[in-house]
Amino acid sequence: MRLQLNAARACRGDWSLKAEGTFGEGVHLVSGDVGSGKSTLALMMAGLLSLSNGTIARNGISSSMISLQFPEYHVTGSTVAEECMSWGLDPGPILSELNLMDKQDRAPLTLSRGELKRLHLACMLVKKYDLLLLDEPFSSLDAREKERICKLISQRTSGITVLFTHEQTTFPSVDYLWEIQQGKLIERGEMPGALHHWTHAPVLIKKLIASGKCLKNISPSDLIEAVCMT
Amino acid sequence: MHDIRMRIGTATLLTLVAFFSVPGAVGVFVWWLVFTQRLQEVKRIRIIAGTLGMIALAALFIFVAGGDGGAYFIRMGAIILIGIWLYSEQGSGEFLHLGVWLLGNRMGFELGMIAEMGVQMAESLAADLERIHMAMTIKGQKLGVKTLVPAGLILVSDALVRSQDTAELMAVRGYNEGGSFCPQFIHQRYDLIPVMVAIVLGFLAFVPVSEFLILYR
Repeated sequence: MRLQLNAARACRGDWSLKAEGTFGEGVHLVSGDVGSGKSTLALMMAGLLSLSNGTIARNGISSSMISLQFPEYHVTGSTVAEECMSWGLDPGPILSELNLMDKQDRAPLTLSRGELKRLHLACMLVKKYDLLLLDEPFSSLDAREKERICKLISQRTSGITVLFTHEQTTFPSVDYLWEIQQGKLIERGEMPGALHHWTHAPVLIKKLIASGKCLKNISPSDLIEAVCMT
Repeated sequence: MHDIRMRIGTATLLTLVAFFSVPGAVGVFVWWLVFTQRLQEVKRIRIIAGTLGMIALAALFIFVAGGDGGAYFIRMGAIILIGIWLYSEQGSGEFLHLGVWLLGNRMGFELGMIAEMGVQMAESLAADLERIHMAMTIKGQKLGVKTLVPAGLILVSDALVRSQDTAELMAVRGYNEGGSFCPQFIHQRYDLIPVMVAIVLGFLAFVPVSEFLILYR
């Protein structure tokens, strides 16, 4: 199972993004500055954005899903319950888990963005997809919810998961690291070796590496382990 | 055409010319072919195909009912093309310039601002509809009768929320009524040619030129 980007290029006016590389099974992290093109790349990989050049080949991928950065962009139901049903789900269990049962008849867009993001991610992560693209999955979420989502991502034992984020505090355990710089997707390689080349690394991770700590990965437990290491 | 005053005046005149007679509508169509971006506009604004399709359908009904469906299609088609040209040439903030120039800093400012907000809202609705379409694609749904009602409700509720936010923001910033604004318009010599041609078309459409010439014979 792999997603192959062959000199794929998307243009918007004068700006363009070029991407080349192969995404195999595992969790991939794509980081980059705000406006660098992470969402554009996510849309390209989901097949929702026309390429101006190149191709994107899907090998062995039979199902895919993308979580857009803004949860309101996913809304197609006129009530919270309808929104759950639009994902083909029974609203009861989902809304009970999220403590949103009393809001099931409200318009989804009257929920706070955090609530809507939780609802959207809960609906989306119920099903299993071969290719799961998550654009800024942690935005609008509190620390506890971020950790819960990280656990859910880590529980995916198969398929390709790609996280597009500029998050600096909470990450799941990832297998491959990519960066977008100056309109180009750059492969940093496999973890943990890729950490030494990660230019967008959070300050804590940079300091741990600079102080000679051995980082196995970037999940909270990995960071704690590295900090506690003597 | 850079000056909104010229553009709106020309569009109004051409609309009247097209409405009153088929030869006038043909003249307006020729004007549209000569002085506008023509097919680029048609390709850019996808709603055109649908609108022209609806007019064609109405024309067919008129024809079946014994009316002159062909004349209706030609006249309405020309009016739609002029409307599209007017919309595609519209620049941000132009209604505010026009409103203040026409009616001053109080009523003109408010009317201009409301018109600007209306244009922005239309653009937001188009963007929202595109997003809903994308969301449906992601969920494997199709835009049909079943999904049309929720989509419409989302569009309306989203527009209301946005309007409420804008109103609150304006109130927080202390907006009460009117404003201070110096309208500015860009003039270019070339813009006078389409205006003059439109005036000639209007003259030919509304002034009984043939009778006037007979008098002199």
